[in-house]
Amino acid sequence: MAELLRRMLRSPQGALGLLLVGLMLVLVIVGPWLAPYNPETFTPLQRYKPPSLQFWLGTDQYGRDILSRLLYGARATVLMAIIASALGTLAGALIGTTSAYLGGRSDEAIMRTIDAVMSIPSLLMALLIVTLLGKSSFNALLAIGIAFTPGMARVTRSVALTVRKQDYVSAAIARGEKARYIVWREMLPNVVAPIVVEMTIRVAFAVMLFATLSFLGLGAQPPAPEWGLMVSESRRFMHLSPWMILWPSLAIATVAIGFNLLGDGLRDALNPRT
Amino acid sequence: MDTTAPILEVSGYSLDYATPAGFTRALDGVSLGIAKGEVLGLVGESGSGKTSLAWAVMRYLPAGAKESGRISLAGKELTAASPAEIDAIRGRRIGMVFQDPGTSLNPTLTLGEQLAEVLVRHRGLSRKDAWAEGEAMLARVGIQLPAAMMRRYPHEASGGEKQRVVIATAFACQPECILFDEPTTALDVITARQILDLFAELQDETNVASLYISHDLAVVSSVCNRVAVIHRGRIVEQGPIAEVFAAPRDPYTRMLLAAVPRPDRRVIETVPEPRADALLEVDKVSVIYGRKPFLAALLGRVNTQFTGNREITLAMQPGEILGIVGESGSGKSTLARALTGLHPFEGQIRFGGRPIHGIADMDRAYRRDVQIIFQNPDSSLNPRQRVREILSRPLELYGEPGRGADKAAIAGLLEQVRLPADFADRFPHQLSGGEKQRVAIARAFASNPRLVICDEITSSLDVSVQAAVVALLVDLQQRHGTGYLFITHDLNLVRQIAHRIAVMYRGDLVELIDVGDLAAGARHAYTRSLLAAVPAPLAA
Repeated sequence: MAELLRRMLRSPQGALGLLLVGLMLVLVIVGPWLAPYNPETFTPLQRYKPPSLQFWLGTDQYGRDILSRLLYGARATVLMAIIASALGTLAGALIGTTSAYLGGRSDEAIMRTIDAVMSIPSLLMALLIVTLLGKSSFNALLAIGIAFTPGMARVTRSVALTVRKQDYVSAAIARGEKARYIVWREMLPNVVAPIVVEMTIRVAFAVMLFATLSFLGLGAQPPAPEWGLMVSESRRFMHLSPWMILWPSLAIATVAIGFNLLGDGLRDALNPRT
Repeated sequence: MDTTAPILEVSGYSLDYATPAGFTRALDGVSLGIAKGEVLGLVGESGSGKTSLAWAVMRYLPAGAKESGRISLAGKELTAASPAEIDAIRGRRIGMVFQDPGTSLNPTLTLGEQLAEVLVRHRGLSRKDAWAEGEAMLARVGIQLPAAMMRRYPHEASGGEKQRVVIATAFACQPECILFDEPTTALDVITARQILDLFAELQDETNVASLYISHDLAVVSSVCNRVAVIHRGRIVEQGPIAEVFAAPRDPYTRMLLAAVPRPDRRVIETVPEPRADALLEVDKVSVIYGRKPFLAALLGRVNTQFTGNREITLAMQPGEILGIVGESGSGKSTLARALTGLHPFEGQIRFGGRPIHGIADMDRAYRRDVQIIFQNPDSSLNPRQRVREILSRPLELYGEPGRGADKAAIAGLLEQVRLPADFADRFPHQLSGGEKQRVAIARAFASNPRLVICDEITSSLDVSVQAAVVALLVDLQQRHGTGYLFITHDLNLVRQIAHRIAVMYRGDLVELIDVGDLAAGARHAYTRSLLAAVPAPLAA
């Protein structure tokens, strides 16, 4: 683990990604304590304020402190994105590995179904699921997880196919092991590295997808300090105070870039040939 | 010029590679010289620095390499030469032939283009002349239809043909010195023999100074004039072949020579009693690769299925060691996969008198009694599991009920293969190749099997390690009375340990013969050519 960290820090992408993601995680954990104001307190006399010493990032249309809203919203945005991608990764990894293990006709059947599902764009898929299940943060999380599953299944299967050909899997089959043991204990641990890389990159997509869903009014509901929702709400007041839309957009971009860089760095660090 | 002066001279050459943990010494004070027309064999085990020396001579070292000493080619100092000078020397004055022709040729260029390129680059021929010259070269190295071969891509040629093209390329510019890095290791026995014959012929004709790198002492003894033995980057012994092999002075050379398998030195004395009830009977077992194409039948296309085994019939007594030999693609491993239920088969197997018609009939008892050990321990041991977990699975599945896989049971298994008990906490990558293969053997013996299928289990190991693993197998056989199906391509080795030998060729079992009868008696033509191709065992 320490070795991995050292290798990550050696590449500029890895180091920067680690820094950005580390910073985000700190915000997720201690954000609410750092916030100078209550994110939902209206101050009608302080509306549309630009950044100042009193309000570092300015205030919004109800006079709420934007910095406090961002700090509170980190949990809703980043944490949800991580959970959603983890959910999609786990489901996709299981389906992909099982499909590679079964092989032959079952593999064809599973993968063609996955292909069919994949032909629906993930945003459209997520919209469909949220509309069916109803508007809420939890349903949005579920929707993103499901929308990510086919892609992850595809990536995992391609890795698992090479693992499937290894002799230790043959040895387990010859020994008479059950399919469940082979998939969980022999194959999954050996496909983890590329999947983790893929997952970190997907977190960035999840943040944006979440923001998009909230922006469309299908994710978090007002007055939640979710970043996508903040962008959506401030859109109408852009000409009154551009700061309102700038800060949450910047925050979303930073998370997306951070996770992307982290994924790049991880990919290089986990590949022994570099 | 003095004819006895060496063409290639390496003196006091040391090489260190930079690793995250500091410098590691790859070569240590190496000194050797090769005169015109001489073949110097460089033998050593994996990791001894053989290939590093070849790269050092070719001046192709990684950025972190640190060197000292001298390498000179006909008086020209190579360590001090500029990159432009090296470019002019490489391929022109020093040629190189690699181990695997499958990877040393570019798959996207025709063989002719790759050969002509060298001639255009180094001999200044026009493309047309180079092409004609290339054809002549291919004819010289024994290619039947050189004009057609020039237009083929590497995947359209066999391994032997590809290696002939690589050799033609190396000889194309009449270099003064050629480095051969295990040129026959990736080839089948009979093809390897032909390549060695070709090498000897070209060597006589061109009088080039050759460095022949190999781990195979028998090959070295048949093609080289002099030999240098390298061990951990240091040349421990050097001299004429006959002297070094007849009276080795260094203990390492002696150990290496003693480890080479020799058919006359049998390691197994016992003979299984001919009993009426055979342990394993294989009755007309066929294996076919590829799915029956559903669409092809509809469209009337030709069947693309490939036969791995064709109606194999053989029987084994309990405690017998049956050797299976044949070249790659002959169906040896396919039979092993069919017997362990890794591939569906047609026909019938009888194990201990019980008929088995397919994978579905292989129940717990069969799985316990028939175990398999694979060729490459790197891929047969899960890299993410500790030795403890690897060994505990068969114990949990087949061990005494209630006892499970406790510490003592795993220590017992490790002790059986002569490994210390604390290896249980290690991961496979923390073990050497030989140690990994011992763990794989321990795993196979955990269930007390009656038949163990050994699929080329020594071919990825060094000679000395191979000898130890074979001794261990013989010891286990004597202790447990286990039968072995010993699959190998090494005839000398199989003649050392097997009771009977089955010879396979292109999916057919062509001959089943007693080891004792192999030296004399009527034999199948293929067996004869196989025996003739095996490098003669070293003279004692």
